[in-house]
Amino acid sequence: MSLDPRPLVLQEEQPPRPAAPGKKWVKSVRVQNGIDTEVWEEVDIDSGSDGPTWGAREDLRLLNHDLRRIDGPEKVTGRAVFTHDVRLPGMVYAQVLRCPHPWAKIVRIDLAPAQGTPGVLAAVVLEGEEVKWLGRPIVAVAADTPEHAEDGVRAVVVEYDVQRFAVTSEQSQAPDAPKIAGNRDNVRVHETDGELAAAEAALAECDAVVEGTWRVPVQHHACLETHGVVVDYRGGDSATVYASTQGTFTVNNDAARELDLKGAQVTAVVEHMGGGFGGKFGLGLEGDAACKLSKQLGRPVHLLFDRASEFLAAGNRAGGVHVLQAGAKKTGELHAFVARVERHGGVGPGSNQRQPYIYRPAVSYAQVKSVLTNTDSSRAMRAPGHPQMSFAMEGLMDDLAYAIGMDPLEFRVRNVPPDRRADYERQLRLCADLIGWNSHPHRTAPDRSEGELKVGIGFALATWGGGGRPECKVEVRLLPDGSVEVYSGTQDLGTGTRTYVAAIVAEEFGLDLAQVTPHIGRSTYGAANASGGSTTTASLAPAVKHAAWNARKQLFEHVSTLIGVKPENLRCVGGRIQDVNDPDSNWIGFKDACAAVGGKGISAQGEWQRNLASSGVGGAQAAKVRVDTLTGEIEVLHMVGVQDCGLVMNRMATRSQLNGGMIQALSYGLFEERVIDPDLGLVLNANFEDYKIAGCKEIGLVQAVLDDGDNRRGVIGMAEPAVVPGQSAIANAIMNACGARLREMPLTSDKLLMALRGAKRG
Amino acid sequence: MKAFELIQPTSLDAALEALPGARDTKARDRVKILAGGQDLLGELKEHLIEPQTLVNLKSIPGLDQIEHRDDGSLRLGALVTLARIEEDRALRERFALLAEAAGAVASVQIRNAGTLGGNLCQRPRCWYYRHEQAVCIKKGGSECFAYGGLNKYNAILGGGPSYIVHPSDVAPALVALEAQAVIRGKRGERQVALEQFFTLPSEGSVLRENVLTSEEILTHVIVPAQSDAPWRSTYIKFRERGSYDFALSAVALRLSMDGDKVRDARLVLGGVAPIPWRCEKAEKAMVGRKLDAQTAEFVGKLALEGAEPLEHNAYKILLTQGLITKALRKLAN
Ligand SMILES: Cc1cc2nc3c(=O)[nH]c(=O)nc-3n(C[C@H](O)[C@H](O)[C@H](O)COP(=O)(O)OP(=O)(O)OC[C@H]3O[C@@H](n4cnc5c(N)ncnc54)[C@H](O)[C@@H]3O)c2cc1C
Repeated sequence: MSLDPRPLVLQEEQPPRPAAPGKKWVKSVRVQNGIDTEVWEEVDIDSGSDGPTWGAREDLRLLNHDLRRIDGPEKVTGRAVFTHDVRLPGMVYAQVLRCPHPWAKIVRIDLAPAQGTPGVLAAVVLEGEEVKWLGRPIVAVAADTPEHAEDGVRAVVVEYDVQRFAVTSEQSQAPDAPKIAGNRDNVRVHETDGELAAAEAALAECDAVVEGTWRVPVQHHACLETHGVVVDYRGGDSATVYASTQGTFTVNNDAARELDLKGAQVTAVVEHMGGGFGGKFGLGLEGDAACKLSKQLGRPVHLLFDRASEFLAAGNRAGGVHVLQAGAKKTGELHAFVARVERHGGVGPGSNQRQPYIYRPAVSYAQVKSVLTNTDSSRAMRAPGHPQMSFAMEGLMDDLAYAIGMDPLEFRVRNVPPDRRADYERQLRLCADLIGWNSHPHRTAPDRSEGELKVGIGFALATWGGGGRPECKVEVRLLPDGSVEVYSGTQDLGTGTRTYVAAIVAEEFGLDLAQVTPHIGRSTYGAANASGGSTTTASLAPAVKHAAWNARKQLFEHVSTLIGVKPENLRCVGGRIQDVNDPDSNWIGFKDACAAVGGKGISAQGEWQRNLASSGVGGAQAAKVRVDTLTGEIEVLHMVGVQDCGLVMNRMATRSQLNGGMIQALSYGLFEERVIDPDLGLVLNANFEDYKIAGCKEIGLVQAVLDDGDNRRGVIGMAEPAVVPGQSAIANAIMNACGARLREMPLTSDKLLMALRGAKRG
Repeated sequence: MKAFELIQPTSLDAALEALPGARDTKARDRVKILAGGQDLLGELKEHLIEPQTLVNLKSIPGLDQIEHRDDGSLRLGALVTLARIEEDRALRERFALLAEAAGAVASVQIRNAGTLGGNLCQRPRCWYYRHEQAVCIKKGGSECFAYGGLNKYNAILGGGPSYIVHPSDVAPALVALEAQAVIRGKRGERQVALEQFFTLPSEGSVLRENVLTSEEILTHVIVPAQSDAPWRSTYIKFRERGSYDFALSAVALRLSMDGDKVRDARLVLGGVAPIPWRCEKAEKAMVGRKLDAQTAEFVGKLALEGAEPLEHNAYKILLTQGLITKALRKLAN
């Protein structure tokens, strides 16, 4: 928009110098000496003038820097309201009766004794026919206090016709095993890749062949906040559902169906939530129950899992068995590969486990089966399938490297996909530097010498997609008093979404982080995708940026008329809007600009922009352990993770994701395992005492490094690959330290001790 | 948990009054003693027991004293918390073993609330025992599910018909220090060597782990003065997870020395048997020997003599021998 047309002068025919990498020269109009002048301007290649770009990284003030979480103080002081903390007038508490058998037909349910229990207000049957896994909800009871609800649950009488069950893969594959899914076989072949005969022939051509059976247990999400909802429906045509969920918009429609309302009449609220890791999508059976009870009573119903339920009925990471055989040539080529993979996903298919993981053998064959059992179905869990695949494949890689007398790091570099070699090599070498590999005395063979305390180092890689999708709608509002508000229905799982939402907008307007107020976690705000597959940031951040950019454009149009500068010549810097050519005299304060817009304010929408997101991330991790050969103690001294992340929104939060991923992998590797007694069918460790997770004393030095050698410009999700390789690196470090290859997780002292003494267990 | 009545007596006599008679077998499950509650509340929440009445010892004054007596002995009230045992300076100096053991219990929070009496009288942690639905022999059933089941954490010594391990860290230390338990009942006071306080499932009732009857309260523990000869002690506990965990195995060792030779030894194992496991044969064999690698190996063998591992816990033999080596080495330096 030109205010007073004056002649355009082109300064130079040619750009002054060749464009920098990732940049190009475009002609743009600047006011110079009061005259509109065409000048050459160096811009980002993928920018274009019709949409936002992130700009050059070195120009960013907030993004790609360390930002403290804006909701941190609320959380550490306990003021943050999680779903568990929601208290509403007239609210009642619900508890669930869960099936105590792995498989039972339900003969009779008598609710009367529960209904007669003091404080009990309502009881509903959720399942009256047949249950195929222990923990499935059967009855829900609501009462005036949680204690009365529990009394009510215990008073319900259920007569079960207990069936013969299969809770282990061995039981499930026995010739006379009960068929869990009707007439279907308990074992299903999912896919077969490659020719077995060709792979076996290739094995014969190898200089060294190794094989092994790797076993991974079922892991739990172990979120600090358990699953659950508070459903507030007091009749009429609106309801609110407070949910601990990874998808604000995954609960309101489910709830509407259960409450006989329209989707828009139900507001889902996810103010704060205490972790999901893939296990918290949708309303779930228990959420349905809370809706039923709330509808029946016309009162808000609080239904949150107790800790045991969280272990029994909230999903898990599938277990599995990976039988691998592979051969290498002396040159370091991973030549032949044969895999037979079993997925253990309970009554479900057991997530995305296949082989080979990351590395590219010349000839390979893989068969993937799933084995049904009478246990809770697995669910998505942080990088579904990857940590399991990694544990087996990375162990095999080290075994092969040692078999041909090669440094496992070099063997990796040699066998990663060629198009990703440069990235992986850079990451591996940085890990090696930081963990002290180059001065480590045992780089081509494990240290099998005598000795009590021995130190070893191991490596492993990760891969992930992490791209964004066009699923978010964001609104940015500028109010006359200068407040900046951002609205998106998205949820913050504890990862820091709220903080970068504010940061993107603050960056756009040259404001401090505290000057922008983010509003998230409500289904009445703009649509947002659920947090799965590390897609949240890559989907949301571009839409926030777009909304902020649109809002800024609108604001500039107003300002332009005020100070007589063309909108394209305005910039936001340090709380003011100024003329790029005459910043000292031609400017207006941000607040004044907003005031000048008047009461109507500015409201701008944003949607996902392809050019602002990218996909495809990788990373390398290394672990250094000390093992005590007298006791079998395994101490992780140091872990390094180097991870590419695209354009980072908040470096501190991103490092936290990498730290958290490494710690979760350490915990998975060393401790975590669901334990079920095969004869009784009972889960023996449905609590935080016997289901062990790492505490502060188990965590050594954890070093998270964001790989800035990656020059992609867009935003990519990175939380999932962070959890993939840690346990594999630890297992490889144990092998390197003492020559004991533990192929069964968790990697506990008893297993190491028995392996070291070469004694058989039992 | 089920609702219960809480009685808050202000004297031992009043507390005893509230307890059922020893012969009233039905009543024994109806009334329970509450100290720090760190174990008992877990049992209530898991519905392993559903008493109608809890008798709170914490309302009784005077049971929380640490007394260093003139004769060099130590008298500890049952309500002394584990944190205080860990931190009491004089106690640390004179009975390192006991302070180390108390400091090895659970977490800071639990040590702040948990008491000496509660620690010694706590119930087993075996995951079958702790599962409401598994009605095992410890809960009046007929079978020890651990025996043919998942028994990684269970006993390798002294097992049968139940294969629990005694969970207390403080108990092996006190047995090594030749401590005495002071017990008050309706009919007066008795004093029992702590070694005799704990009972094997094959000796006493399989439903209990010690000699206390339902009408008795453990009121004090007395640790006698240790010999005049230079003596040293240590408690080495191995746990799977360092942040808080019960012992997979633990070694309580107390030695008095004659120069560089052992004059007298007490060696007690934790985490491997239903009671703190005293290794008398190994103790005797140590006398007159130096604390070297050879002795360690020899002692390790004798201490584990008779161990009968179950399917998943043979590692405990190797582990315990490793810990014995470490304990001897520590005391040699
Ligand atoms: C997560 C967790 C980890 C733990 N880890 C350990 C560990 O590593 N090592 C360890 O040794 N312990 C451990 N404990 C067990 C135990 O809680 C503590 O050792 C504690 O000392 C128990 O003391 P309390 O006073 O809380 O006992 P309470 O729970 O009050 O009582 C325990 C039992 O003793 C009885 N009792 C209490 N006092 C007396 C008395 N004076 N006379 C007669 N009977 C009495 C009660 O009736 C009850 O049956 C752990 C517990 C938990 C929950």
